[in-house]
Amino acid sequence: MSRTRNDDIAVIGWSVSPMERHTAKSETQMLLEVVSGAVDDAGITRADVDFTCAGSCDYVAGVPFSFVQNTDAIGAWPPKSDSHVEMDGAWALYESWVRLLLGDMDIALAMGSGRSSTSDPAILYPMEMDPFYLAPLGADHANLSAMQARTLIDSGMLTERQMAEIAVRTRRDAKSNPLAQVSGDFDVEELLAADYVNAPLRLHDMPPITDGACAVVIARADKARELCENPVWITGFAHYTELHNPGMRDLRSSTAATLAAKAAGVDEAPIEVAELQASFTHEEPLLVEAMGLGPEVSVNPSGGPLAANPIMATGLVRVVEAARQIRVHGRHRTLAHSSSGPCLQQNLVCIMEGD
Amino acid sequence: MSTRPVAIVGIGQTNHKSKRWDVSLGGLVREAAFRALEDAEMEWSDIDAVVLGKAPDLFEGIMKPELYLSDALGATGKPMFRVHTAGSVGGTTGIVASHLVAAGRHKRVLAVGYQKQSEGNAQFALGSGQGASMGAGGAFAPYMRGYIHRSGAPEDIGPMVAVKDRQNALKNPYAHLKIENISIEQVKASPMMWDPIRYLESCPSSDGACAVVLTDEEGGKAAAAAGRTPAWVLATAVRSEPFQFPGRDPVRPAGAVDCATDVYRQAGITNPREQLDCAELYVPFSWYEPMWLEAHLIAEEGQGWKMVEAGDTALTGSFPVNMSGGVLSSNPIGASGLLRFAEAALQVRGMAGEHQVEEANVAVAQAYGAAAQYYAMWVVANSLDPFGS
Amino acid sequence: MRTSHERGIAEVTITVESTIKFPYKRSLGPVIGPFMTALAEQRFIAIRSGSRVICPPLEWDPETAAELPRDFVDVGPAGTVCTWSWVSRPTEQHPLDRPFAFALIKLDGADTALTHVVDVESIDQMSTGMRVAPRWRAERLGHITDVEAFVPGEEAITVNGGVPGEPVTMMSYDASITYKIPVSDNTIKAHEATAQGRLVGLKCPVCERIYARDRGFCPIDTVELTDDHEVELPQRGVVTSYTIITPVQYPGQTETEPFSRVMVLIDEIDVVMMYQPLVDVPVEDVRIGMRVAVVWASEAEKADAGRPGNLVGWMPTGEPDNTDPSLANRIM
Ligand SMILES: [Zn+2]
Repeated sequence: MSRTRNDDIAVIGWSVSPMERHTAKSETQMLLEVVSGAVDDAGITRADVDFTCAGSCDYVAGVPFSFVQNTDAIGAWPPKSDSHVEMDGAWALYESWVRLLLGDMDIALAMGSGRSSTSDPAILYPMEMDPFYLAPLGADHANLSAMQARTLIDSGMLTERQMAEIAVRTRRDAKSNPLAQVSGDFDVEELLAADYVNAPLRLHDMPPITDGACAVVIARADKARELCENPVWITGFAHYTELHNPGMRDLRSSTAATLAAKAAGVDEAPIEVAELQASFTHEEPLLVEAMGLGPEVSVNPSGGPLAANPIMATGLVRVVEAARQIRVHGRHRTLAHSSSGPCLQQNLVCIMEGD
Repeated sequence: MSTRPVAIVGIGQTNHKSKRWDVSLGGLVREAAFRALEDAEMEWSDIDAVVLGKAPDLFEGIMKPELYLSDALGATGKPMFRVHTAGSVGGTTGIVASHLVAAGRHKRVLAVGYQKQSEGNAQFALGSGQGASMGAGGAFAPYMRGYIHRSGAPEDIGPMVAVKDRQNALKNPYAHLKIENISIEQVKASPMMWDPIRYLESCPSSDGACAVVLTDEEGGKAAAAAGRTPAWVLATAVRSEPFQFPGRDPVRPAGAVDCATDVYRQAGITNPREQLDCAELYVPFSWYEPMWLEAHLIAEEGQGWKMVEAGDTALTGSFPVNMSGGVLSSNPIGASGLLRFAEAALQVRGMAGEHQVEEANVAVAQAYGAAAQYYAMWVVANSLDPFGS
Repeated sequence: MRTSHERGIAEVTITVESTIKFPYKRSLGPVIGPFMTALAEQRFIAIRSGSRVICPPLEWDPETAAELPRDFVDVGPAGTVCTWSWVSRPTEQHPLDRPFAFALIKLDGADTALTHVVDVESIDQMSTGMRVAPRWRAERLGHITDVEAFVPGEEAITVNGGVPGEPVTMMSYDASITYKIPVSDNTIKAHEATAQGRLVGLKCPVCERIYARDRGFCPIDTVELTDDHEVELPQRGVVTSYTIITPVQYPGQTETEPFSRVMVLIDEIDVVMMYQPLVDVPVEDVRIGMRVAVVWASEAEKADAGRPGNLVGWMPTGEPDNTDPSLANRIM
């Protein structure tokens, strides 16, 4: 397929930081490195970037206005057209993409960063829930996700063994991902013999705690062609949310993921690889079904969030891994997904294609 | 250019107060959203996407509140987007919403900004929970002193702005502070909080929300045909710059100048003072009015305070500024930027009631944040081609 | 078998602990308020949305956002567990201090599920579809934890019956999150320098601008600054701008009297130290152009472990003021 429409926008460069259980680096340092890496990869300098947008979270950082420091990393002098979302970097990419659609700018840079290692997720994440009915009970993502997993098990859609098999597969796949934090060859029986952490979830069902950052450069078609031999075209991009309280949702499905995948054009042509922000094993089959992905689709060949989960960048890393499948592994059409909120409340899908 | 025209057809805001303990958080944002939908003659189901802006989550102790508020704001089964660019966030919220329409992504977008400051304590949150927090006033005071020193402005300019904005607030039914018969003497007699800023020269701490409905050209023209004048977004611009480096000028920041230059260029404005009919600027402390008049190229450098002194920026002056009463009269931080953007739109729609500027055809709105380093601006007009180009 | 796990554990780093703690106050509004009031009376109420009964109640229909008429209906007190998870290690935020279950509980008469905890001795006593009833707390405030926990069975465990009280309109939420934040090498070096009575900065190798020792970056050239870029700074300068702050009280505030913060342009070198404290200067004497020098902590002060650093502040040198009008341009 050849592209001539200037409205087309492509990924032309990226960089992902090391994925670490604890980093000594600040978010700004991590961002400085990945921004340098991404603009180098795209064959440009920071000065060539017309628009920047970062995704990060004050509560993850433990400081109000934490993103202000990160302005040091983007090269905002002379002053830059710039924005920030209190969301995963995948949504920063969405804002950047919308900004380029307006046509008066050619190159944008999206970032995501977070240091989850600095606090205890069990203490932090209740703050994200309904402030009257959920937060005061100390309900965090793991507690609520475990209930969603049991719903799937009770409905006969999934077994704990199948969940362990997903963990084994992703950890094995992660062996070929130099950035993976958790990888290796594991035995299903051995995993199932472990104690529950949040029954029915065991440690292997849950993501690691990861510090990391990611940056992605996108460009409008003419500029992308000029700068890049193998641009990765964004052909569909959408995100949707559901109502908040998991007790008021049908936890056997993910309406928002279905809507996002449809709006991004999932069924317009075959998808070869899907990089999903399935942070818990049971979320993978749930998302696969919700998005209508067939058995031929390779899911999370990078190992996914179970291999490395840099909160606020995990979704943007999915975009990089899905783009990598096109640029490096010669795939034609791939899908990246990001999610936020309890039990997959909010979902984003970005579909990319090679030439 | 792929940009499509964007029209503002609905505006709503809460009655801002220091403590809106009569409503829940969801009720607060919905109060503004209902008013915007009613103004737009729309239902929740007419909205295609929601953009939510607010300043630090630490202020209310709710992390990523757009998740909790998704169903309160009718976003179930729709996109919900959350921006945070410090004090400029309300402006950024309006701009991101306008881009979703301009890019053809959605036909009708609801932009919402809020802060419920009474649930926490901003001074505490700004100091990350530590002692000796300077607060925003302490951080900005040396910049304002720099302006006074540089411009040679007389001491009364700050109090004059404080009086003028509070007089305007008396005409705005939604404003938080209502100080009848406020005088320069009264302002000068109020306690010095962050020298040179007195108590009455500072913004209050408010609970409040603002909502704006934006739609496409078809929606805007339909509203106009039905007798509901839309405000057309002529241009938007944002800028960020580093918080500090040796020689950075926070009194006339380059980002403020660049942002204004960019937004005027896109809007076809070559003489802001003449072509704009009024301005709604983010002035949380009195001295920021002359500072922004200069940095946003409405006045020559060093001349902004003379516009204040001459009464030009009064509601009946030649260049009204902060007709709503401004941030000095109501400051629900996350909403404050969107309130500025909404007021500019209200003015060109001719719907500002008692604080309406006569013949307001083109208006500029601005919000800024952090160490005076984030800027968001838009220019709105009551026609797509106000200068007859 | 296992080739690797948990890659990339970094070398031991120095961290500083910081706790964000605040007693938030939330207003409940016209629907959550009555629900919480009912809890204090040992009752559950729900709200009708068309033919559906929503519990816990919302002001709006969660699907359509339609404002709901305040049509409350009593539900429960018993209900059915729709799904559950087991918490083996409770945190201080959880209502119980021993292992327990989280559960989505559809109270009798409701169409949606309430999230709460179930108190049973072991995971073996939990099952989907089990019937549970509330065990009410003796001291109830109108808070979701007025239900201490649900327990297996049909009968609520009530305390002295449900006595109607004052309507509950507010709720408190005590947030406390402790962060262990790594201290950057530059921050450590900055502290070491001040401990030695040295004022140091970092000079950008590209533009030669000088930054505070703990900054770490030149934002103009986006280069990282490290030990290689350290420069000694003269310990004298001039005040270019200032403010005098009248402290307001908030939880954690340590100041009681007005205090000044000044911007100091360091002599001979192009760097401004921002928001510096002044020592032994009456606030009315602070002015632009005032010549100042660093004051270091005395040996006795250094020994006080509660002190944040050795740089106490700046003191007038007694030299004549600098009257250069361009000083005011150097706030940063
Ligand atoms: Zn430099």
